[in-house]
Amino acid sequence: VRLDWDAAYLDGRMPVRRAAAVRITRSGLEVTLTETGARFFWPFREIRQTQGAHAGEQVRLERGGELSEALLVGDVGFLSAARATSPEAAHLHDPATRRFRLELTLAALTGAVALALAIYFVGIPAFAVVAAARVPVAWEERLGAAIVDHMAPPATRCEDPARQAKIDTIVAALTAKAAPQPYTFRVTIVNDSIVNAVAAPGGHIMVFRGLLERTESAEELAGVLAHEVEHVLHRHVTRAIFQQASTTVLMAALVGDVSGAVAFGLQGARALGDLQMSRAAEAEADREGMRLLEAAGIDPAGMISFFEKMSARDAGRSDAVTRYLRTHPTTGERIATLRALAAAVPKPERRLLPDDDWDAVKDACGETAAPPSRRR
Amino acid sequence: VADTCPRCGFGDVHSDKCPQCGVVIPLFQASLDKMRRGPQAGASPFSGPPAPRVTTPAPAAAGPATPPAAATPRPAPPVTSGSRQAVFRGSGSGLFGIHAINALLVLATLGVYFFWAKVRVRNYLWSQSEFEGDRFAYHGTGRELIAGFAKAMLFFLLPVTLLNSTPELFDASPAVVAACRALVFILGIVFVPVAMVGARRYRLSRTSWRGIRFSLRAPTRRFVGLWIRGWLLTSLTLGLYYPWYVTSLQRFFTSNMWFGSERFAFDGRGRDLVWAWVGTLVLFVPTLGLSWFWFGARRQRYFAEHTRLAGARFRSTVTAPGLAWLTLSTWIGLLCTVGLAWPWLTVRATRRGFAWLSLDGPLALDSVTQQAQQVSATGEGLAGFFDADFGLT
Repeated sequence: VRLDWDAAYLDGRMPVRRAAAVRITRSGLEVTLTETGARFFWPFREIRQTQGAHAGEQVRLERGGELSEALLVGDVGFLSAARATSPEAAHLHDPATRRFRLELTLAALTGAVALALAIYFVGIPAFAVVAAARVPVAWEERLGAAIVDHMAPPATRCEDPARQAKIDTIVAALTAKAAPQPYTFRVTIVNDSIVNAVAAPGGHIMVFRGLLERTESAEELAGVLAHEVEHVLHRHVTRAIFQQASTTVLMAALVGDVSGAVAFGLQGARALGDLQMSRAAEAEADREGMRLLEAAGIDPAGMISFFEKMSARDAGRSDAVTRYLRTHPTTGERIATLRALAAAVPKPERRLLPDDDWDAVKDACGETAAPPSRRR
Repeated sequence: VADTCPRCGFGDVHSDKCPQCGVVIPLFQASLDKMRRGPQAGASPFSGPPAPRVTTPAPAAAGPATPPAAATPRPAPPVTSGSRQAVFRGSGSGLFGIHAINALLVLATLGVYFFWAKVRVRNYLWSQSEFEGDRFAYHGTGRELIAGFAKAMLFFLLPVTLLNSTPELFDASPAVVAACRALVFILGIVFVPVAMVGARRYRLSRTSWRGIRFSLRAPTRRFVGLWIRGWLLTSLTLGLYYPWYVTSLQRFFTSNMWFGSERFAFDGRGRDLVWAWVGTLVLFVPTLGLSWFWFGARRQRYFAEHTRLAGARFRSTVTAPGLAWLTLSTWIGLLCTVGLAWPWLTVRATRRGFAWLSLDGPLALDSVTQQAQQVSATGEGLAGFFDADFGLT
């Protein structure tokens, strides 16, 4: 084992590199400055190695507090020699481990990807369920109110007390037989031609005029509402908020000290993933919504016939890509699932509302001189 | 027996250390001896390709670095002249290896390792940067970073979150909500510059070259003032004030930056960039925004040329097409690989950046002494919240 090595010494007081000779002993390094002949001793246990663990790097050993002295050795063989000479030098980097670096990198990479997938597909959804369940209902209500105010400012709502009361009856019928739950449901009719309904946290449901006008009976709207009520009861939106926040953190962990462009690029990947998650939530809302109809004694045929109408409207536009990209599961799949569920349900003898009454209700926005339809 | 300090000429020195300038006399003598022997004796015994060094007999006007001739009849310390460049010796694969292990450990510790991961990456980048045959060194620790993060949480994120959400959750009156919003806005305005200064102050204080630390020495409130004033004037003048604004920030950061006991100097003036800026604005739409790079390159060259250190002057040869290509290709590369190419792109950008910058003329660093400052990592932690990487260049 070679014990004498050339080195450079930095005293930590002046930016001057001094040539030095280093001799490895069992307990430390004997350093002799070439020019002055000054000698000093560095015990191994006081030595920290701060550079020299990577290819092409000099070995840098430091000693002392905040403003340390440093010894620089160009040849990494020095480390092997020190480790071979003294057991006290075991904390220094072992150059022999470098040839495993490729394997180590690949193993770490595999591990990181596996761990990330596990966290993404198992950890985060589980966390979101637990966390969402811990959010007080009062907070959800405030959050939901804020979302409704943002998406549907009061000026865009159709407020007709008589018709609203009919819709509220449907909600009351739906929730009367449901398991005890803490929410007060409020349905807001929004004067907008889009065919959609949206559940916000805390019992707020927005039904857009476009959708309302396309329903032909109270049962059809009840089907849509049952679906949205289940979103609220399962706290899907609150859960999604937790999921998105945790996914952001996960991605920060993966890409590390990077921001800007990468974060932007990852948004795309994330949006796709969020859609996948929300499809699961939609399927759950469908299934549970059907149970809610059954419990309330409402004919599930309404829900199915409404989805069929939507399906006819969408026909021709459902290629593989849009199918994947759509928030809601394809209506075809949904209808098949719903039919299977409904087959087991006895048909109720009572109707929610006579059809004539419903024609008046679904026109809730009609008399208020609707502004020209806008698309958002 | 009283002695005379060889550095400052103080005549009443009784120990190894000069009470006036604080120099350790034997060390100083040794460095003078070494310098007298010429560059070959002091050249590193092992560093790769030797950096180009030219030794000139220092003229008396080598700056304040020269010891007073009366006190030391020895020849003045030589200064090296010529053009010096930093070299980046790291590789993308080396950085990727660090990154892969970091990602695994960050996930396994549910994020706690993040701060140590940052330190490992910086350690690599700093250690692979070489100037005049010597590597830079990074001295920050994960423990400091996590403490900085915790403090930033306490002083910034927590108050902002509370101010933002509490009034709404407790149905406060609109006036209270509005007041809280205003307070959050003010906090945001103040904390961005505080984070900028804090992050840079921290990083410089944890950076060393040849064992001497860098530092940023100026009160934070002065920068906050500059920043707020600059933004106000820039918006009031519809952007025309911008050259003065960026120059004032650069002046703050450069002329308050020190290498040990040696201060950087900056003599740029905002008005020298005005025409470049006006041209950039006029051409912004016709060039689809690419004129921005033209201004960016012009600004980098101008700032470099007006920055001095120990008698030497920086020079930048960056060109607008070069800067545009580097920036755009880095973004595109990151986007196309979802960030996976980040290590290689970082190495490439660092190499390119170093290649553009040089330090020309006589550089008299041998009288520099260590003058470290106490700095905490709070600003660094704050900078993390703003998702801003305020680089060191």
